[in-house]
Amino acid sequence: MQAKRDELRYDNVMKKILMIICFACLPACPLFSEVDFNREIRPILSKHCFACHGLDPSTREAELRLDHFEGATRDLGERFALVPHSPQTSELVARIFSDDPDVQMPPPESGHRLTDAEKKILKQWIAEGGTYAVHWSFVAPTQKPLPDVNHANWPTHPLDYFILKQMEAQNFAPAPPADPARLLRRVSLDLTGLPPTPTAAARFLADPSPQNYEREVDRLLATPAFGEHWARMWLDLARYADTKGYEKDRHRDIWRYRDWVIDSLNQDMPYDQFTTAQLAGDLFPERTDNQILATAFHRNTMTNDEGGTDDEEFRVAAVKDRVDTTLQVWMGLTMGCAKCHSHKYDPISIADYYSFLAFFNQTQDRDTESPFHPTPTRAQAKEIASQQNIVALASKELSARPTDFDAQLSQWKKQFTKTPLWTNLKLMESTSEADVVLKQQDDEIILATGARPERDTWTLTFDLPALPEEKSYRSLRIEHFPQSVAGGDWPDKNVAIREMTVELIHDSASPQKLTLTNPRATFSQRNWEVAKLINGNPSAGWALSPKFKTPQTCILDFSEPILSGKIKITLEQQYGEGLLLARSRFSASPYPTPWLRAELEPNFSEIFWSLTDPQHSEKKETYQTALAKLEALKKAVTRTPVMLELPPAQQRKTKINNRGNFLDLGDEVAPNVLEIFGSFPDDVSRNRLGVARWLMQSENPLTSRVMVNRIWSRIFGVGIVETEEDFGSQGLPPSHPELLDWLAVDFREQGWSIKTLLKTIVSSSTYQQSAAASPDHLSRDPRNRLLARGPRFRLSAETVRDQALAISGLLTNQLGGKSVMPPQPSGVWKTTYSGDDWKNVTGPDRYRRGLYTYLKRTSPYPAMTTFDAGSGEVCQVRRIRTNTPLQALVTLNDTAFLEAAGGLAQRMQQSADDLEKQIVNGFTMTLVRQPTPRETRRLIDLYSSLSIDGEASTALLNASALTKGDPRLVAIANVLLNLDETLMK
Amino acid sequence: MKLPLPLKKIQATTRRQFFGQTGLGLGSIALSSLLNQESPGDQTGFRIPAKAKSVIYLHMAGSPSQLELFEHKPALDQLHDTQCPQEYLEGKRFAFIRGVPKMLGSQFKFQRTGESGQWVSDRLPYLSQVIDDLCVIRSVHTEQFNHSPAQLLMQTGNPLLGYPSIGSWATYGLGSENKDLPGFMVLSSGGKTPSAGKSLWGSGFLPTVYQGVQCRTDGGDPILFLSDPEGLNRGERRKTLDAIADLNRYQHEHIGDPETITRIAQYELAFRMQISVPEVMDIGRETQSMLDLYGAKPGHVSAAESAADPRTLYKGDDPTFANNCLLARRLVESGVRFVQLYDWGWDHHGSSPGESIDETLPIKCRQIDRAVAGLITDLKQRGMLDETLVVWGGEFGRTPMMQNNVRKKLVKGFIGRDHHPHAFTMWMAGGGIKPGVYGQTDDIGYYITENAVSVRDLQSTILHQIGIDPKRFNFPYQGLKQRLIGPSDEGKVIRDILS
Repeated sequence: MQAKRDELRYDNVMKKILMIICFACLPACPLFSEVDFNREIRPILSKHCFACHGLDPSTREAELRLDHFEGATRDLGERFALVPHSPQTSELVARIFSDDPDVQMPPPESGHRLTDAEKKILKQWIAEGGTYAVHWSFVAPTQKPLPDVNHANWPTHPLDYFILKQMEAQNFAPAPPADPARLLRRVSLDLTGLPPTPTAAARFLADPSPQNYEREVDRLLATPAFGEHWARMWLDLARYADTKGYEKDRHRDIWRYRDWVIDSLNQDMPYDQFTTAQLAGDLFPERTDNQILATAFHRNTMTNDEGGTDDEEFRVAAVKDRVDTTLQVWMGLTMGCAKCHSHKYDPISIADYYSFLAFFNQTQDRDTESPFHPTPTRAQAKEIASQQNIVALASKELSARPTDFDAQLSQWKKQFTKTPLWTNLKLMESTSEADVVLKQQDDEIILATGARPERDTWTLTFDLPALPEEKSYRSLRIEHFPQSVAGGDWPDKNVAIREMTVELIHDSASPQKLTLTNPRATFSQRNWEVAKLINGNPSAGWALSPKFKTPQTCILDFSEPILSGKIKITLEQQYGEGLLLARSRFSASPYPTPWLRAELEPNFSEIFWSLTDPQHSEKKETYQTALAKLEALKKAVTRTPVMLELPPAQQRKTKINNRGNFLDLGDEVAPNVLEIFGSFPDDVSRNRLGVARWLMQSENPLTSRVMVNRIWSRIFGVGIVETEEDFGSQGLPPSHPELLDWLAVDFREQGWSIKTLLKTIVSSSTYQQSAAASPDHLSRDPRNRLLARGPRFRLSAETVRDQALAISGLLTNQLGGKSVMPPQPSGVWKTTYSGDDWKNVTGPDRYRRGLYTYLKRTSPYPAMTTFDAGSGEVCQVRRIRTNTPLQALVTLNDTAFLEAAGGLAQRMQQSADDLEKQIVNGFTMTLVRQPTPRETRRLIDLYSSLSIDGEASTALLNASALTKGDPRLVAIANVLLNLDETLMK
Repeated sequence: MKLPLPLKKIQATTRRQFFGQTGLGLGSIALSSLLNQESPGDQTGFRIPAKAKSVIYLHMAGSPSQLELFEHKPALDQLHDTQCPQEYLEGKRFAFIRGVPKMLGSQFKFQRTGESGQWVSDRLPYLSQVIDDLCVIRSVHTEQFNHSPAQLLMQTGNPLLGYPSIGSWATYGLGSENKDLPGFMVLSSGGKTPSAGKSLWGSGFLPTVYQGVQCRTDGGDPILFLSDPEGLNRGERRKTLDAIADLNRYQHEHIGDPETITRIAQYELAFRMQISVPEVMDIGRETQSMLDLYGAKPGHVSAAESAADPRTLYKGDDPTFANNCLLARRLVESGVRFVQLYDWGWDHHGSSPGESIDETLPIKCRQIDRAVAGLITDLKQRGMLDETLVVWGGEFGRTPMMQNNVRKKLVKGFIGRDHHPHAFTMWMAGGGIKPGVYGQTDDIGYYITENAVSVRDLQSTILHQIGIDPKRFNFPYQGLKQRLIGPSDEGKVIRDILS
C-alpha cells in the first residue's frame, strides 16, 4: 500500500520552489481569504483528520500533523500535504479526491468520509493560501461595536442589537411582546423556579409597565427562592449528592455545601470570589469557616467503601475527576481523553494534563471522608456565639474575686500555723500476724521491714492528741509512698487493702467501733474503688495498680468528730502476692471536708473562694451547665468533608499515568496551568489559589464566555454555544459570536455579578417576546436559534415539582437544611449492604422544594430522574430534555402530584362558590393567565362528565391527602397540573 | 453545527430510520424530541445486518464459581487442601485473600453432557439437557476485581459510574419494536439490586429516555406510577386525558410548538402502557405446562425480596428468578429490545452464613437451573431462539484457592472462593451464536491458555449480533466519540463463535 501511495509523487522540485515563494510572501502580504478557517475548515479537519494527524504523537500516522500550518506544510520526504495556493500539488487534495481505497483519505476503513462540499471547500481553502487561525474560543473576547439594524426602535438593550442583526440578515422580524401574564410567569419561573404568587400577579397585571416589570424583576432577584433555583444548576456541575457512591453508597453529610451555594447566590457573591472559595478556600491566609466549607465542591467526588478496594486507585480517580470537572465547569474544556493520551483535537498534551493535575494532587483526602471541618449553619453559629458569651460571662462571674481577696486568703491561711491542716499520727503499738516489723520514722512514715509475707493483717494504734481551741478531729488520711520517695527495703508493688476498721480506744470502757464516711482517693484501681475499703465485705477493697509507683492518698471522714484519744486501725491485706502497705503514713484533720480538698486538688485560693462566696456553688453550676450546653451545640454541628492541603513535607510527586493507569507511572511533572490559555499569575503561590486566579484573569479566553453561555442557555433553552460542555474545536461554534463576547466582557467588567447578568437578559426585548411561533418561523427556524420568538421549553425536574407544590399551596418555604425524603414508592431502595432506609417523611418536610430531596447516587429519586435530573455521579453540564410517557405517569399518578392536586382543588373550592369561578380561579392559580372561554367550557364539561362517588370519592380524596372536598375538582386539578402549558415555561 | 436546512432535514430523516422500521417505538418517539437536539457527531454508518432482534442478558450478580459449574479441573481436585504455590500469589492483588491460602478442589461432581460430551456440574441437571444449544466460553477475563466496578465495566464499558449501559446503547441505536412498551427493561431477583445499583441500567450521557425501565415483581406497580390513584377508574382517567389532550390542542393552535403534539402522543402512550404493561407482565396467562417448564409460580412474592439480608432466606424452590425468565420471554415476544435480569446472591466467599460454595451455591443453582433451561427450550420451541441472543454470566470468576481471611480451615457452610478476574466462564445462546465450547484455561483454571475473550470482545460481539458495528457506533460527549467498547479498538467481535 505504501508503495502504491509513493507512486503519487509530484514534481517535488517544483513544489519546493512554490513553498519558498509562499513562505516568503506570507508574512509580508496577508492574504485575503474567502474561506473562514475556524468556521469552515477546522470543523472538517477536526472531525475527520485530527484523530490520526493531530497533536497526539502516539496515534499520529505518517508523522503528519494537520492541526497547524507548520505541520501541514512540512516536508514529508519530498511530499507536502499542503502547498499554499497550490491545490494541484498539495497531496492532501490528491488524497481526498482519490477513489483508490489504498490512497484515499480519510481511509475508507476509518469510517470517515468527506462530502463533496467538504472536499471542495478544502481545495478552495488551499487555493486561497491554506492559512490557519487560532480556534475562536482560544482568543480572549473583546466587545465589538453594536451592529446597525433596520428595526432600530426594537432593541431595549445592547444584546438585542446582535440578535436583531441576525434575524434581519435572514429575513425574520421579532415576535410581538408576550402578554403580561405569560411574561410574569416566565420571568418568575426563570429567576426563582416558582410561579408568581397571586399577590405578585395582581400587582403586576394591574400595571404591566416596563418600570413595574423592572420592580418585579428586582423583587424576584431578592427572594431567597432565587438562590434555591440557581443553586440547582451549580449543584449539577458540582456533582452534588447525599451519598458516597459505588457499591455501599453510604450517607454523606455534605448538605452544608449545598446551602453555601444557595447563600452565595442569594448574596450575589461575585463569580470570581465564588470560584476562588470553592477551588482554594482552604488556602486563604485568613480563611473563614465558610471559605473552607466552599471547598467541599471538590469533595463531592465519590469514595469507594467496598471491601478489598485499593484506596489509591479511587483517590487518583477522584483527583482526575476534580481536574476534569474544574476545566469542564470553568472553561468548557473536555479533558476526558487527555488523561490517557494527548488530546487529539485541542492543544492539550498528556503532560499538560498531569501538570495541571499536580495542583489538585496535594490534598489530604484519600478515598476516605476525612478531613472534615465543622460547618455550623447560620442559626447554629449564632447560637454557639451567644452560648460562648454566656459561658464567658459565667466563667467571669465564677472567677470574680473581691479586691482584698489576697489579704483575706493569707489571713485564712494563718490558722493553719496554729492548727495544721493535717496532724501526722504517732504509732503507739502495732501487731502483725505474719511478723512484719513496722517502724515509724521521724517524718511519721511507717516502713514495713523484715520478710515480706504473701498476706497479712495489721493492727495499728495511734494517739490523737488534743487540739488547740478544743477542736475535734473530723477526717482520717492514709498515704502510700513508693520506694523512691520514702526508701525502705521492700520493692514497689501494688497495694491491696481488702478491709479497714477503726476503733476508738477508751481507757476504761471497751473499744468503740467508728463509722467512716465519704471515702475518696487520688487514684483507685479499676474494680478496686476506695469505697470498697470500708464496705464490710473483705472480698473487695482498695488497690492501686498501675499507679503504685507514685504517692497515693485516700481520705475518709469520721461520722462523729473526735476530741482526742487513741484509735486502733485494722488493715486486712489478704490478697496474696505480698501486696502490702510497704510505706505509709496516717494523719487526722479537724477541718471540714471541703477544706480538705487541698489534698486532692491543691488549689488553696479556689478552696478558700468556694468557702467564702456563698453563691459559689450556684455560680459553678451555672458555668458548668453553660459549658455543657456549648459542647452539645458544637457537637450538633455538621462536619463536612473539605479540601485541606498536605503539609509541605508530605506533598506528593505527580507522575504521568501512562494510558491513564495509576499503576503505570511515567515522568514526573511540575504543577503548571495550561499555558495556551494564559500564563500562571506572577504574584501568587503555585497552588490551587493560583489556579483560581489564573481562571479568573482577563487573559483567560474561556471562563467568562462559558458562564454567560451557561446562564443564557438556562433562560433560552440552548446556549449561544450549544455544546456548553465543549468550547474546544470539537464543539459547535457560537450562533451569535459577537453577542457571546459582548456578554462575556460585560460580565467581567460589571464585577462578575450573576444577578446583574440575569437582569440584563430578562430585561431585553429578545427575552420578552411572545413564544408563539408562526408556521413560517417554525419551518425556517424550528429550534428558535435566531430567537425571533420567546423561549418555550419544559421545566426542569425540580421546577415541575416545586411549581405543583406552590400552586397547591402545600410548598414549605424553608431555606436550607438536611436533605429530606418525600414519598417514593416502597422498595426503590434495595441497595447492597447498606442499612440506610428511605422513610417517607410526614409534616412540612414532605413538601420541600425538589432541591432538598435526598439524592442517593445508586438509587436517585425516581420522579426526578424521569424528568432528566442526574444522579450526581459526574459533573453534569446540561440536562438533555426528553419527553416520555414515564413523565406523564409521574405527574398523573405520583403521590406528590396527587397531593398537589388535592391542595389545588381545596384552594379552588375555597376561592368561590360557583363551579365556573372555581375552575377559572384554578386555571389562573396554575397558569397566571385567564382561561379562554373555550378552555373554561372544556373543563366544565369534564367536571360534568365525571362520576366519582361513594367509595371512589373517599379513595380519591384519600390519595390526594384530603379528608373532605370535591373529588371531581381533584380530577380537574390533576388535569391542570398535567397541561403542556403547565409543564412548559 | 449550523447546517443549511435541507442538509439538516436529510440528517434528520436518516436518523429517523435508525429507530425501528416499525416507526413508532419508544425510541423513535423520543427521537422527535431528540431531533431538536443538533448533534455534532456522525451517527451514520453503524448499522450492519442483524442476526438477533433482541437480547436477554442474565447477570448473576456477585459472580458464580466457574470451578463448580463449568470448569472440570481434576488437577485442582488433586491439589485440594494443599498450600497455594507462590507463583499464583506473587504480585497479585486479591480482594480478601491474605497470606498463603489453600487450594480448593471442586465441591461438586461433574458429568459429561449432551452430544458434545462437555463436562457440566451435577448441580445443573436441567441446563445439561440444553447444553448443545449453548456456546460456553471458558476464557472470559476482566480488568476489575471488585463487584461494583466490574459490574459497571461489564454493563457500561467503564468501571466508573456515569456511562450508558449496553441496553441503553442498544435501544439508542435500534429503538423498540413495540409502540406500547419501553425498549429496555430490567428485572431483578435475589432480594437486592446489584452492587453498582441502578447505574447498571442507567443511560449515562445518552438521553434518559434510553435508560432501562425497572419492572418490579414484588407486588407493587410493575412500572413506577403505572397505576391510577385509587378512586379514579379507567373510564374517568380516559375522560381526564381527553380533556388534557383537547386543552393541549388549543394550546398548540395558539403557540404552534411541535413539542405539544409530542406530549399529547406521550400521554396516549402512557395510557396504553397502563394496559399493555400489566398484561405482558401477567405470567398467570401462561399454561400450567409452560409454568412448569420454567418452574414459575405466578404472583409469588418471596420473603427474601424484602429481607435485610436475604441470603439466609434463600430456598431452592424460590420461583422469583423463574418468573423473571418467563417474563423475559414474554417481553421479548412483545418486541422489547433488551431485557436484563439481575439475580443477586452469587458472591460465595464463605465468610458469613448464606454465602458459601458448599451450601449456598447449590441453592442458587436450583433457583436458576430449570428456569434458564426452560427459557432456552421455550425460545427454541417458538422459533425465537435464532433471533434472541441469550447471555449468562457474572462480572468475574472465582479463585481456585479457598478464601482464607475469616476461616483458615475448611468448615462446612463456610467454604468460599475469592474474586478472580483472570479467567471465568460465561455462555451465550441463540442470536446467531454457534453452540460449542470456546476457550480454555490451565489445569487449575487460573489463567487462560487459549482464545482469551475480554469484556470488550463480549460487548463487541453482542452489538455485532444485533446489527450494530461496535467500532462505528458512538455518541459524541466530552470531546470524545464515546463508545460502549471504549476509546481503543482492542475489542474484537469473536468471529469463531458466530454461526
